[in-house]
Amino acid sequence: MQEKENILRILKETKEAIKQGDIVKIKNLSNQTNNTASRTQDPDNITVAVIVYSIGKILERDKYREYPEWNRFYKNILFFINEIINSLEENRDEKLKKNLGYIRKEINNLSGKLKKYIQDVFRKASINKASKIYEHGISMEKTAKLLGISMFELASYAGQTEISDVPLGKTLDTKKRIKLVIDIFS
Amino acid sequence: MTLQKIIIFDASTLISLSMNGLFEEFKKLKSIFNGKFIITEYVKREIIDTPINIKKFELEALKIKQLLDKGVIELPKSIGIKDNEISKKTNEIMDIVNSSFQGNGKEIRLIDLGEASCLALGKILNEKNIVNVIAIDERTTRMLSERPENLKKLLEKKLHTKVSYKKERVKFFSDFKIIRSAELVYIAYKKGLVNLSDGNVLDALLYAVKFKGCSISDDEIREIKKL
Repeated sequence: MQEKENILRILKETKEAIKQGDIVKIKNLSNQTNNTASRTQDPDNITVAVIVYSIGKILERDKYREYPEWNRFYKNILFFINEIINSLEENRDEKLKKNLGYIRKEINNLSGKLKKYIQDVFRKASINKASKIYEHGISMEKTAKLLGISMFELASYAGQTEISDVPLGKTLDTKKRIKLVIDIFS
Repeated sequence: MTLQKIIIFDASTLISLSMNGLFEEFKKLKSIFNGKFIITEYVKREIIDTPINIKKFELEALKIKQLLDKGVIELPKSIGIKDNEISKKTNEIMDIVNSSFQGNGKEIRLIDLGEASCLALGKILNEKNIVNVIAIDERTTRMLSERPENLKKLLEKKLHTKVSYKKERVKFFSDFKIIRSAELVYIAYKKGLVNLSDGNVLDALLYAVKFKGCSISDDEIREIKKL
């Protein structure tokens, strides 16, 4: 994994924030993963970004705690985060990848509504992270592929954000661009 | 033979139009256009071949496929350009783009095959003196071509790291003409191809494409409406 030290710090702080139920802190840590994910485009970094964001969203919703499977899910998520931290500290890439995968598996082991809700959170987290990476200057297609989502999903989500209003994004005088379309259709 | 004009479509532009149900207007635009609307094989993959297997976007993919089947959009072979020629140029462009910007001493990979293939086809057409524009709604490729210094500043600001780019390499991308779905709906509106008369139609069209991913700012929309 690239930029390992930074990710290790983020995961350790995430673990503590989960224990303390500090959702604001988790969201802040999630934002910090955006830069690393955009810079490195490393699949493991991106997975960590999606996981941290998803955990923040899951903990935010109190109603999930009412489901009978919640306690096991919560305990296992903490366990696997700990395992991911250990893998990073031990420089064991294969173990790291396995543990990142186990978090996904843990969701598949759920059943009923909780499974559906949490799958949805992870799906939306991928789209959110894709939008953040696109916002960082990586192209729409490249970003969609990195996150394994459709360009349709990303375009639709990114269109609701303020990405296109960033002043640096204006790259040609409006009249000049309109002239291009008028000329080609004349 | 009269040289035709060409509009090369990136996936992002067709996605904006598709998700707004603007293909009737798109077909009308084609009918008044003295030339061809072209997509590359790489773009076809992104907007037809892949989404046709995703339930959520299957219908969109089928609608775009129909445009292709009916010849509203065509593949490069229709203008005598072979796929292997585009593939070769696409790889060349990928190499240049993805080694042009560096942050923290590492190359920043900016674009992917579909976007690069649009630039590749644009280059090939430019070399053949065929008038063309590229319709691309996503921001990065447009910035790369028109204002690479802005892209550098954006990357630095967002990545919180010093970014450098090779100006000589990036010059390779300076000769493209780029439009977006915003300009296409503008011309459709101005030519009376939009079958709506009540209300603020141009405003509605421009915001519709913006909300489906066309990278256009509120300021630009205001400026377009004044023209």
